[in-house]
Order: sequence, then C-alpha cells, then structure tokens
Amino acid sequence: MRNILAIARRELSAYFATPVGWLALSAFLLITGFFFAALVSLYSMQSAEQAFSPYGAPDMNLNEYLVAPFFGNTAIILLFIVPALTMRLFAEDRKTRALELLLTSPITTTEIVLGKFVGAMGFIAVMLACTLHYVGVLFYLGDPDVGVVASSYLAMFLLSGAFVSVGLVTSSFTENQVVSLVLGFGMLLLLWVLGWAESASTGLTAEVLGFASLINRMEDLTKGLVHTRDVAYYLSFISFFLFATHQRVEAFRWS
Amino acid sequence: MIRVEHLTKRYGATTAIEDVSFEVPKGQVVGFLGPNGAGKSTTMRILTGSLGATEGRATVDGRDVFTDAREVKRRIGYLPEVPPLYPNMVVRDYVAFAGQLKGVKDPVAAAERAISRVGLGKVGHRIIEHLSKGYRQRVGLAQALVHDPEVLILDEPNSGLDPAQRVEIRDLLHDLVEDKRTIILSTHVLADIEAICRRVIIINKGRIVAEDDIERLGGEQRTVTVAVARAGEAAIAALRAVEGVSAVVDEGDGRLRLTTDGDRREHVANAAAPFGLLELSGRARLEEIYLRLTMGATP
Repeated sequence: MRNILAIARRELSAYFATPVGWLALSAFLLITGFFFAALVSLYSMQSAEQAFSPYGAPDMNLNEYLVAPFFGNTAIILLFIVPALTMRLFAEDRKTRALELLLTSPITTTEIVLGKFVGAMGFIAVMLACTLHYVGVLFYLGDPDVGVVASSYLAMFLLSGAFVSVGLVTSSFTENQVVSLVLGFGMLLLLWVLGWAESASTGLTAEVLGFASLINRMEDLTKGLVHTRDVAYYLSFISFFLFATHQRVEAFRWS
Repeated sequence: MIRVEHLTKRYGATTAIEDVSFEVPKGQVVGFLGPNGAGKSTTMRILTGSLGATEGRATVDGRDVFTDAREVKRRIGYLPEVPPLYPNMVVRDYVAFAGQLKGVKDPVAAAERAISRVGLGKVGHRIIEHLSKGYRQRVGLAQALVHDPEVLILDEPNSGLDPAQRVEIRDLLHDLVEDKRTIILSTHVLADIEAICRRVIIINKGRIVAEDDIERLGGEQRTVTVAVARAGEAAIAALRAVEGVSAVVDEGDGRLRLTTDGDRREHVANAAAPFGLLELSGRARLEEIYLRLTMGATP
C-alpha cells in the first residue's frame, strides 16, 4: 500500500507540475460551468413558462431537468479529457526511461499499475470536487435530492475509473503520448457508441451491445438508482483493463 | 556476492547474450567491457530484475534474481545508461521518491545523504530538466545510492559527458570504490577502468571472452610503436635484437610496430636513438588487450 501511495502521490503532483494538468482542469471547469449555467438558465425559463401556462403548472423536477442532464454532459466532457490525462502515464515513463526506476525497485507490477491508477483518479477526484460549488448553488436555490446528487457523483467516479483503466492500457503500448491519446480516445468512443448501436440492433446482439456499453450503466445511477449490477459492471470493467495493463507491463521484462 | 551461471537471452532469432557465466566476490570492483551491442546492458538489466533471461541463473547474495527479485532489488543500486529520471521533479523530491520505492524508512533523510554524497547539495532544490547532463548523471547516481545498497551496477555512467564532467564522475566513482561496495562498472573509458577496477570482464558478441585481474590479463605481451627518421633494414635489425622484442613490423612512413614481452620501452628507445627517434608510444595495456579480444587482432 505504501508503494501504491508513493507512486500515486508522484503521479498526482506531476499533473500540477505540467501545463497538461492545469489545462485539463481549466477546460473541464470552463465547459462544465458553461453547461451548468445553460441548464440553470433553461430550467428557469421553462419553469417560468410552465408557471404562466393556462393548463396549470406541472412540477418541474430539479433532479430530472437539471441534475441528470448536467451529469450526462459532464460524462461526455470526461470522455474527452480523461484520455489527455492518462496518455502520459506509461508513455512518458517509457520515453524518459524513468520506467526503469520502477522496474528495478523492490515493488510489484501490481503496485506500479495501481499507483498510476490511483494517482490519475486522485486528479479526477480534484476535478469533480471543483464542481461541488455548482451543486451548492442548486441546494441554495432549490431542493435537489441528496441521494441523486451523491449517486451521480458515484457514477462520474466509476465512469472515470473505467476511462482511466482504458487510458492506462493504451498508454502502456507506446512511447508516444499523442498515439496514446488517440488510441485511448478511440477505444473509449467505441465503447461509448455501443449504446447507440444497441438501439439499432435486435435480439442477442442488442443485449450484448447494451451490456458492453459504458453509457447505459450510467443512466440509472444519475437518476439515483444504485444497482449492485451497475457498480459491479464498472468495477469488473476497471479490473479487466488494469489486469491487461499489468500483463503489458510484465511483458516489458521480456522485450 | 554476484554469481551468473550460463545466462542466455534471446530476442526472437537474435541472441543478445549466450552462456554468460562469471562471479564477483563481495567488495570487489569489476570493470565490464565490450563494444556497443556486445550484451553488457542486457546482462546488467537481467541482474537488476528489469529483464528476464531465456536460460540460466543469476544470484545476488545467494538470492535468485528471478524468484527472489524483491530481495535482490533491495540490495542493488542501478544506474542505467540513460538515468531513469522524472524531468519535472525537483532533485530532492525525486531522490526521496526513489528512496520510498526502495523501502527506505526515512526517505527524506536518505535522500539528503545521497544528494550530499554525490555533490548535489547546491542543486537539490532545482528541477531536474534544468540541470546539465553531468548533474543529471549525478542525480541518477544519487537514486542508485539512496538505499545504501551492497551492490552497485553502473552502466556507462560517463557516456555523453564532456571531459570536465567525465573527470567529475570519475572522481565520484573513486569515492564510491572506497565504500567497499561490490561494484560492476561498464564504461568505454578504459583509463577509468584501469584506475578504478582491479578486475575486468570482457564480453564480445554476447559471450565472455576474458575475465581476470587486469595485471594478469593477456599475459605479458605488449605493443610499442616507434617513429624514426631513418627506418630501414638496419633499424629493424637493431630493434629486433632488443631483449624481449618478439616481432617488428614496418608500418611505413618511418613507423615500426614492436611486440614485446613486458615493458621494454626504455631498451627500445635506446636502440632506436641512433636512427633518429622521433616518437615512441606504448598503447595502454588494457586498451591493447581489449582491442585484441574484441576486434580479433591488434590493429
């Protein structure tokens, strides 16, 4: 555990020591801030229209009209930003030969992989924590469901974990960070659009595509419904890609 | 301390090292020599646990480098040819991080000791990528020393350095030898090997071609080259008559290459003087042996 935390701390501090980390954080906050402001504005406008409607004013649920779309948009922003955060994790170490320090230290490959994973997740936790003030505004002005907000953050964290695990494995296949970025983003996009392909398919194919889709698993979580099967899905997904990364790093000893 | 038995490493159809065996007793400083691509780095990487072997066995302090890798790595400090640095880190933080990975109890204090040991005190607060190559090499050495290892494996610690930086690193290596550690040093600077190591292992095309104390290596045979103003049959005959000279080859332009048994430079100079001695050079002993073993014959 000590070694995992040591590597995680180094990775986390590396994000703040380079422009990439600050740029990613700034871009994330700027875009999520824009979407939040736009959604609040839209919600206010629609609420006002509903209030003056001659057919009465139906209840415009804050969770349904604001919280869920906000986290839906956040997930898409993460899809773009996380590969930029993970591209350097192994690619840079291989290029600078710093990986040799890790491979010749008395630590296991599992510790190396988990250390890098935890480090990237630490940075994503910082990014997500920076969005808490948006939620604070909602609590100040309205009455969102705490459970929905909490499960939405859980969804973002699990989804980010899945993204990071894919980014780790693609980063381990190249010394070139741009190649790592393109590979990572391409893989994530493919896994993302499987959900769309599901609606165009039938039978077993639709079931398989629906099962593999990262997006489908998130929908219930952002509505406040925490199913064990969804959490288990993300954890299994993360474990699979971390294992693949482990195997790839082990292979460095033979190449 | 280090025992390598029949080590072989193949990359597909390419054999990097084949049937390499040697031993390094505790406290000995050994020079590891060979041309580029001879298999030095491969052997070193196998010993440090960053590379697997196809066949054979290697132990450090009686522990197998493959099955007991963690314990072996605790005992080894390794400086690869390209130091494994994180360019964006501050020197002090980097060395402390290396200490943490190597299981040091107080990494910050250990980093300070290693930094002062390699003379980095003044730049300890600086970011690694802003340092000169010589200093970066020192940071790599500090990383290798931070856990106070019994064994040091240094792969060309002075490659790519300017002459002044080379002298700095050589002086540092001199200091490290006094620590009584077991050291394997690979370098192309043979003068450093002669100055620092008692024993050498020479590897060529993946195989060990010589392994002995420098004094005993290659017997007593040496090469002396003389340049005389009046080279000719008489000069060759006079030099051939010198005791201990076994062969004289006329290289043209007044240059004669002599093969001698032991150091006969004084007698050769006396015999060449009547013919107008212009120059006498005896190639450094290790260089001569190295070239003979790795290039097939003395050029």
